[in-house]
Amino acid sequence: METDVIIIGGGATGTGIARDLSLRGVRSILVEKDDIASGTTGRNHGLLHSGARYAVKDIDSAVECARENRILKKIARHCIEETGGLFVTLPEDDPSYQDRLMDGCSNAGIKAVEISCKDALAIEPRLNSSILSAIKVPDGTIDPFRLSSANMLSAMENGGKFITHAAVGSIIMKGGAVSGIECVSAKEGRFSIHANIIINAAGIWSQEICSLAGIKLKMLPSKGSMLIVDYRINRTVVNRCRVPSDGDIVVPGDTVSLIGTTSRSIEYNGIDDLRVDDDEIDILIRNGEKLIPDITRSRALRAYAGVRPLLAVPGNTAGRDISRGIVLIDHEERDGLKGLVTIVGGKLMTYRLMAEMASDLVTGKIGVSKKCLTARIPLPGSERLESLKKNLKLFPGISKSVIGSAMYRHGYRASKILKNDKKNYRQICECEMVTEGEIGYAMKSLNTGNITDLRRRTRIGMGPCQGALCTYRCAGLLNEMGHTTPGESLRMMEEFLEERWKGVRPVLWGDGLRESEFTYWIYQGLFGLGNIKNDNDGSSDEI
Amino acid sequence: MINLKNISFDQCIKCTICSIYCPVSRATHLFPGPKQSGPDSERLRIKDPALIDSSIKYCTNCKRCETVCPSNVKIADLIQTAKYNYLKKKIRVRDFILSRLDILIRILSPISPIANTLMRNSLVKLLLEKFLGISRRQNFPAFERSSFKNCFKRNMQEQDIYDESVIFFPGCNVNYMDKRLGKDLVKILNAMNIGVTIPDNRCCGVPAIANSNIGRAKKYARYNIRSLKKALGDRDRRIVLSCSSGTLALKHEYANFLNLDTSTLHEKIDYITPYLFNRFSEGRMPALNPVHARVAYHSPCHLERIGGVMYTIDILKRVPGLDLVILNSECCGMSGTYGFKKEYFKISEMIGSQLFKKIDDAGPEVVVTDCVTCKWQIENMTGYRVLHPINILAMSVFKYGLDEYL
Amino acid sequence: MKYDCIIIGGGLAGLTCAIKCSSEGLSTAVISCGASALHIASGSIDLLGYSSGRYLTGDLDTHLDQLIKRKKNHPYAKIGKKCIWESLEFFRQILSKERLNLFSMDKKNHFHITSLGILKPAYLSQRSIFNGRLLDSYKLKKGLVLLNFRGYRDYYPGLAMNQLKKNPLFRDIPLKTGLIELPHYTKTARNMLEFRSIDLARVFEDETYLSKIAEDIRTGAGDADVVTLPDFIGIHNYEKLHARLEEMTGKSIIEIPNLPPSIPGMRIEHALKTSYASHGGEFSSGDRVTGCSMSRGMVEYITTENYSDTRLSAKCYILAAGSFFSGGLKSGYNLIHEPIFNLKVAGGSDRTKWASDQFFSRGSHPFMEFGVETGTDLHPFGADAKKIKNLYCAGAILSGYNPVMEGSGGGVAISTGYKAALEVIKKIKKSSLE
Repeated sequence: METDVIIIGGGATGTGIARDLSLRGVRSILVEKDDIASGTTGRNHGLLHSGARYAVKDIDSAVECARENRILKKIARHCIEETGGLFVTLPEDDPSYQDRLMDGCSNAGIKAVEISCKDALAIEPRLNSSILSAIKVPDGTIDPFRLSSANMLSAMENGGKFITHAAVGSIIMKGGAVSGIECVSAKEGRFSIHANIIINAAGIWSQEICSLAGIKLKMLPSKGSMLIVDYRINRTVVNRCRVPSDGDIVVPGDTVSLIGTTSRSIEYNGIDDLRVDDDEIDILIRNGEKLIPDITRSRALRAYAGVRPLLAVPGNTAGRDISRGIVLIDHEERDGLKGLVTIVGGKLMTYRLMAEMASDLVTGKIGVSKKCLTARIPLPGSERLESLKKNLKLFPGISKSVIGSAMYRHGYRASKILKNDKKNYRQICECEMVTEGEIGYAMKSLNTGNITDLRRRTRIGMGPCQGALCTYRCAGLLNEMGHTTPGESLRMMEEFLEERWKGVRPVLWGDGLRESEFTYWIYQGLFGLGNIKNDNDGSSDEI
Repeated sequence: MINLKNISFDQCIKCTICSIYCPVSRATHLFPGPKQSGPDSERLRIKDPALIDSSIKYCTNCKRCETVCPSNVKIADLIQTAKYNYLKKKIRVRDFILSRLDILIRILSPISPIANTLMRNSLVKLLLEKFLGISRRQNFPAFERSSFKNCFKRNMQEQDIYDESVIFFPGCNVNYMDKRLGKDLVKILNAMNIGVTIPDNRCCGVPAIANSNIGRAKKYARYNIRSLKKALGDRDRRIVLSCSSGTLALKHEYANFLNLDTSTLHEKIDYITPYLFNRFSEGRMPALNPVHARVAYHSPCHLERIGGVMYTIDILKRVPGLDLVILNSECCGMSGTYGFKKEYFKISEMIGSQLFKKIDDAGPEVVVTDCVTCKWQIENMTGYRVLHPINILAMSVFKYGLDEYL
Repeated sequence: MKYDCIIIGGGLAGLTCAIKCSSEGLSTAVISCGASALHIASGSIDLLGYSSGRYLTGDLDTHLDQLIKRKKNHPYAKIGKKCIWESLEFFRQILSKERLNLFSMDKKNHFHITSLGILKPAYLSQRSIFNGRLLDSYKLKKGLVLLNFRGYRDYYPGLAMNQLKKNPLFRDIPLKTGLIELPHYTKTARNMLEFRSIDLARVFEDETYLSKIAEDIRTGAGDADVVTLPDFIGIHNYEKLHARLEEMTGKSIIEIPNLPPSIPGMRIEHALKTSYASHGGEFSSGDRVTGCSMSRGMVEYITTENYSDTRLSAKCYILAAGSFFSGGLKSGYNLIHEPIFNLKVAGGSDRTKWASDQFFSRGSHPFMEFGVETGTDLHPFGADAKKIKNLYCAGAILSGYNPVMEGSGGGVAISTGYKAALEVIKKIKKSSLE
């Protein structure tokens, strides 16, 4: 295989670069060792920063956020919800922080308004009623899976190529310059791709990629854990008005809400096996409850952790205090290796800017003069606003909840997905209302390899039952559609339930435990899924 | 918008059992079942009220889903609240009339002979269907000429000679359509040495709730709560009803669904059969005479929900000589005023078909049930005469003949 | 209200106990909160299916002996082998009276085929699921066809077939899959959204479709002599339907249990409830125990949601409220407890030790074995660590066994429910003599 630019890493930045380059007519292949948005991109709280969070300590980031915020609202409408946000001061918090926040916001040009506690409670009825003050800010939420998927779709429609589930084994070098990479994937085995430019957008894994090229780059992994509750308990983003600390934000995201975030330094070799510590759960619940007291009455659905992709800078050591600034490294300048570019740091919010910066550098190198278009052209799905009413008329047999959910996930493209074929009305995931048609579309057009990937494209298995009914249906359906062999389907089913379990296990109590018992009864008790190994090695032939 | 009261959907573990027992989704595929319409959709409705699906209008609020739910999810309440909160508020003339049956009844009652004939006239029924959407295949119940309350005032004055006293909330059925039931009930209580007080009351609000006329339902409810509190005074006595849906409303729905404070009343309210059962257990029991009749007993959904079935059966079993067939618990399909509506009539008939067949198989002389709208439906669909358990008890206590009721 | 015994829980254990008690003339009431776990079961009764992950093939009597010797706290060890066999025979008879016959292969396990084509052991099965002697018979020579209905989303025979092919037992048997159309049933698009086993079970129950279905099965099966269908050959008239279908098609018809709701489980529940009603037992459905009063170490009375302030009292109480799924056990943030009587429960307060890291861990999960601790007489211990002498526990609420890993859920429920009934009957008869 041969191309102009190889992009390593399928997070928001990587897919953003793929889109940016493809819109400029540059050929690229993106290689990702797992799935798009499977790393840090898909493991944060999905906050569409207004910038207020950074206004006190890091004015540059705040300004950057505020600018990208406005762009994203134009180009990624279907990935974004303009929920609005609140900064609330609790009795135990330092009341002076509020003034500093207001000052910071006005310096950064962020529209922050002080409102009365009564108004705050009217906006957010479940808010702790003992708050001392509240500030309204234009925070929102952004769905990282949808965002990455839309960037990928846009890139593919413009000629970009994506190879997921393929890890970079080595970087091929020829006389002081890179000339390609060698990849390993379970499906294709070993293969190589040739290009004169490689963009390392592997986030926290950038250190590994650089070391493949013999270059030293030190990342400082800082783990952040979050906890999801069953439904959308709050309407707006609720922030705690204090110096950023553990558990000071509750973000609504699609059908759920989540409590974020902790910050803990971890060893670099621990980044592939992230676990939420038990005391982190305590911290999140204790603090989340201070903002929204009812949150402990709701079912904890799962907990997960991501790693902030921070570059080590002499002097700074702790995760949250390091500047979240963008770092673009031309390794030709820094290390004398031609053709390798690394882009790290930044935030989900600034992915587009990072992609623009990396693409600008690279197009300069290969002599393409076309300017960046990503701030102007909307992503696939956000081309046009479409009314639910119109789609209701187009698909009279489908429930409004199903049509609406598909529109949330795929925006303008939803009407293509819900094709008027009655077979496609079958609901496979009942919690998140994912139909057979949507699954078929994702498998065909969104570069989807297995059920876990499918979850990132459609929200299948992300509802309260965490895959209790839909895992089997989905595995069977993929086989029926011809995407998998029966053996692959069984393996995926097991993998998917294990993947769900990873997030469920840390919050296993109450109705979550009931749900798990139910799921275990079905898959182990009724189906015997865990017995496949025994069945295959012939322990049962004496029957 | 979050309903701060009912977050029981959070307990749903998606076992799907409610969908098996839903009589509506069994009868029509237009209703996707309580799981999808209730807990599944509630999460989406909280996210965005625009995601509400209009199919929830088919729910009859029979509450069978709640009875079988192992997770204690108040499924039917979720659906009723959603209907009220999110569906377009276009109260049709028909729904308005059905939601205020009391007014209709009050108007028609004085001219009952003409009204009753008119309402059974096929031309009138056709017109009602055409212009109001009231199914012409349903018969309107016949109205009494004078109300039970008047009759009580005239003929049953001396209630303070007994050594105990109870408050009886008659409701529209007893008041305007089934005076006999009221009289039987008072006489039985009197025979047990219990005096009866009838408080000032209005419609219990069940028809208004069913037709999403919540404002009206609240008005009625507040009125009834006030007058019951007044009637209760500081005396320790109980309030009884002869209607299972009315009991459900007063005891549960006023508080859970209309968000009204019934805390001082809640513990005092009883459906009549549990009340009688407790009195009987204390030894306060009238002498019972044999009733030689074959009766089939149908347990209404709402009595099932408030757990009164066991008591009614117990009381019927006490009647000597009674040849009692207990029908498998099924919904009759009427659900208040649901079966009156043209667009739901077929579904209503389908829902009840299992029950009607079982009644035919049992071949009783009369059917017995606690609920007045079940009575209308069964009488209309099967041709069998339907009586209240209190009627049967009265036959036994006062040696009335079955023919008096036919 | 006063009874001889009140049973909390209307599942397999509660109903077995209730039927035994009421058939002996005791006045009984069952308080049931919601439908039972039978709705998510396979419909076969397992007694002891596995030992350390291996399918048990030999004489179950010997296996039970070994288990009882090895695990002193196992419910089976508490009630003893004699009572276990007696209870299963009793259970079989009550179902048989309700025209639901259960089959076993003497005192050995037989297998049933799961939706994934894995063979699971069972001790008692309904006629269409029982495969005990299938492989020995002349049948299967011409092959087995796994049929499904087009549009049905809860069953994918392709997965099952692939797994069966890998099994040495099926290696030489021609296998294929096929589809049946149900055109009269797929008219409405909306229907496809909520297409469940129950809808199809009702199509089967409506006998007007039977000959059409039989014809479709015959066509779909080709010359194969055995056909499998998903589990929806009716609930109320199941045996008759199955026999008629076999007769009309000339094929052996085997059912494969599916995703919940489980039709075979509902057949058992229906039969048990009918049997209980015929003995005059009372059943309060959709009800919940709201409180209990204890006096001198005994349960004095209980109150429930439906009977608000009426006190329900009995000479004996049986707690068969199930595990977490049915609400018999509750788990809090760092606590496992029994919500009604606050009984002593086996299960730690360290949440991190409740479950294994892998969902399909070979050792299963510790929480599956959590439950109420009892003595051999099934009396639990109260908050003061003293035995409650008029309370018995039965079924999934008991600790010390893992129903899924051992394949013992059905057997434990039936035998402990039965044992509790025997204890109650003994106690009440004794006290009435005095």
